Amino acid sequence: MQMHVRFSTRTASVIALMAAMSFTALHADAPATPAEIQKARHDHYHALGEASKKVRDLIRSSKPDFAVLEQAAEHIVDASIDQGRWFPAGSGPEAGKTRALPAVWTKPGEFAAAQKMFSDRAPTLLAAVKAKDVDAVRRAFREVGASCKNCHDTFRAPED
Amino acid sequence: MTENPASSVARVRIWDVPTRLVHWLIVASVATSWWTAERGDLELHRYSGYLLLGLLLFRIYWGFAGSSSARFAHFVKGPRAIARYLRSGSTPSVGHNPLGALSVVALLLLLLIQVTLGLFAVDVDGLESGPLSHYVSFEVGRACAKWHETVFDVLVWIIVLHIAAVLFYVIFRKQNLIGAMLHGHREYAEQPGSSIRFASVTRTIVGIVLAVALTWMIARGLELP
Repeated sequence: MQMHVRFSTRTASVIALMAAMSFTALHADAPATPAEIQKARHDHYHALGEASKKVRDLIRSSKPDFAVLEQAAEHIVDASIDQGRWFPAGSGPEAGKTRALPAVWTKPGEFAAAQKMFSDRAPTLLAAVKAKDVDAVRRAFREVGASCKNCHDTFRAPED
Repeated sequence: MTENPASSVARVRIWDVPTRLVHWLIVASVATSWWTAERGDLELHRYSGYLLLGLLLFRIYWGFAGSSSARFAHFVKGPRAIARYLRSGSTPSVGHNPLGALSVVALLLLLLIQVTLGLFAVDVDGLESGPLSHYVSFEVGRACAKWHETVFDVLVWIIVLHIAAVLFYVIFRKQNLIGAMLHGHREYAEQPGSSIRFASVTRTIVGIVLAVALTWMIARGLELP
């Protein structure tokens, strides 16, 4: 009994160690340093800009490719949800070159509200795309764009 | 040879209305484009860009079909002619002098490059873009936007050089180039040997129609209605 318990304890530690190692291996490319977090954030917003351009290009036409439009709209919805995790403490200007202003971290309530405006509006864009209603897509895209601008005005530094 | 206004005998019309109007409207639209870009008002920035595009298209047309003093073939000269002009002590020209021609060509080329870059430019958020940006990828659109900024910096230096050169002629050579670009006339100490052939109103109208039509098509993304 005694042996058995000790054995299990050892087994448990081995399993725990292996789990820890595999976790580290799995997440080896996950952002760890503030610089990596900033780089990943930059890439996320770059991809979001790309998706926005895609929507903007497609809705020039009154008969857009709705399949491609849906992919882009889904990307925008995902980003609107995920962006809540893109600004961990310590990834501001103190950690390196970023246009994210200190207000992101000093006014967390206002920042969360600005992000919420985006995540509230993005689904209306996707819904309009799924309904294949181009005018509604155009309206929703303007609204989403306004929510981007709303946040950038307060929480992003102007381009230098 | 400096010109003494008191002893001037000949007041000659050298610039036609379209050339002068286009010149000052380019000044206004460049200023508006700069100001709207500074303020981030890209809606207005696009419109002032379209105005500038139309003016440039008209000016290029006028460089081939306009009054003789506005034609490229009339004022664009080679390095030898420029050297001869400089040796002569910059005698007043009827129209652009050979050195000023360089200024005209450089400014027109740079403005044309600048407007073209703007047509394809995309902002960092993919929310604002030029009317032809849907023909290029996000990356290419972003590169155009960055070049759009760089070329503007170059443009500012060329504009400064242009103004400095004009002021040099006004102050040190006593040649009132600014007044000439405003009212179209210059005074010469003696009647100049060559004279300007002015283009007809019909040609002006044809140029305006062409420039407006082409600008309108480009602003709409070059798609047939």
